[in-house]
Amino acid sequence: MGKITIPFGSQHVALPEPVSFLFDTQNEIISDVHVNLGYVHRGIEKAAITKFDYTNLAFLLTRVCGLCSITHASGYIHGLEYLLNAEISKRAEYLRMLVIELDRMHSHLLANGHVAEVVGYENLFMQTFRYREKVMEILERLTGNRVQFDYYTIGGVRRDIDLEDAKEIKKELLELKPKLEKLTEFFETDYTFGLKTKNIGKITKEMALEYGVVGPIARASGVKTDARAEYEYLPYNEIGYKLQTRKDGDVLARNLVRQDEILNSLEMCLNILDNLPEGEIKVKTKGRPKGEVFVRVEAPRGECFYYLKGNGSKIFERVRIRVPTYANLPILKDLFIGEKYSDAQAIVLSFDPCMSCTAR
Amino acid sequence: MLKMFIESFKNLISKPQTLKYPFEPSPEPKNYRGTIFYNEELCIFCDKCENICPPGAIKFEVIDIENGKKQYNYNPYLCIYCGACVDACPKSDEGCLSQSDKRTPALGREVVKNKKLGYFINKIDNPRDFEKEWEKLEKRAKLSREKLAEHKKQQRLKKKEQIKKSN
Repeated sequence: MGKITIPFGSQHVALPEPVSFLFDTQNEIISDVHVNLGYVHRGIEKAAITKFDYTNLAFLLTRVCGLCSITHASGYIHGLEYLLNAEISKRAEYLRMLVIELDRMHSHLLANGHVAEVVGYENLFMQTFRYREKVMEILERLTGNRVQFDYYTIGGVRRDIDLEDAKEIKKELLELKPKLEKLTEFFETDYTFGLKTKNIGKITKEMALEYGVVGPIARASGVKTDARAEYEYLPYNEIGYKLQTRKDGDVLARNLVRQDEILNSLEMCLNILDNLPEGEIKVKTKGRPKGEVFVRVEAPRGECFYYLKGNGSKIFERVRIRVPTYANLPILKDLFIGEKYSDAQAIVLSFDPCMSCTAR
Repeated sequence: MLKMFIESFKNLISKPQTLKYPFEPSPEPKNYRGTIFYNEELCIFCDKCENICPPGAIKFEVIDIENGKKQYNYNPYLCIYCGACVDACPKSDEGCLSQSDKRTPALGREVVKNKKLGYFINKIDNPRDFEKEWEKLEKRAKLSREKLAEHKKQQRLKKKEQIKKSN
């Protein structure tokens, strides 16, 4: 049979994000791929160096992406605080970690839910999103918004948590814990889910190192990489952080790494709520940013990289963002070749691509 | 597989997790970030809120150039409800700027009017004109600022001349 070209995206029922793949297939086996990116380019890096002062730039950078909005704010503000020589109180650091970990939980639950959906397991998808909603409600209670938290501010956090809220959130998290453990079990042991995910889109450790993949995708192949462990931008070692890795490197392993991270994040959130230090939530900073700084923070999708250059004026000279999806895309092209077309959707979504981050 | 099947069966019987929203109320949570309310009596016209507002939803228009009198204008449909203005306001503790914990109704057939929402929204009757009027206002506000700056500059020059003459 001859070659058939099948488009997948930029708008497709299985794709949550606008990215376009053109698959050349022979007997449903993919022989070549053409990728198109950049449908949601908004010129955020340009706006950051022309229209926004360093005081309100965090509000713009938060809106780079919905799912990892707090990561972008953290990348920027950790860099800015380094330039301003600000020392942050312990309580603010703990509250920052709380929101970051809750954000990671809801982002991972979304990714896993989408994989379950494209595999054809609607029921598991619904189950996952049901638990995700609970996490989002907690975040809304903490920050006042479901997606755009705007929780970070220069020198601390915007809102404090009171005793009543802490108690309520802890109760909700404790209720959620057995449910999420059950969900992990479903992902791990379910026969039908395994049929579509085991040994599909396999990335070996060598391949992962060669292409430089980051985040849960690298960790699913056994590469021990995590910005939380490698750089001490927040005191993660105090709250029981554990690096999660799997060895298989297929779609299922990626899902399970995310599930393990969700459980670890939940554990960390409970630890934070138990051991929240007393103190100020915000310190005043002086001066204007001058100098250069590189920041690496762990987004839900992997390592997020920020480069800031200030010249002592109100507006930055350069703001460069390298998002995790950008690092994870090159391997996709090689991964598709030789796979069935019907598995392509699960492979793309197991990467959890975030195009609004990538195109900015 | 069996476990998931049991779970699915339980879901058949259990209550729905979703709200039937238009028929059932969907209350805002505690500390919800809603519309910005303004109290003119307490305002000291420091312009800090205008300077920090990321989308530029707050504009002060100078009406009386000689006295430097300003009017507060707010566009709730441009606002991103981040609350930066409330944080920046030096008189927010007394209630000059505050963030309500209620949602803003969508821009429908009528424009929601409230004295606390500033001058701009109370002047508009037809919601279709909203965007055009806001664009006009932005230009007007910018012009009035420039005029005020020029006026101040000239006054300073006059004062200098007066001092020179008296000397």
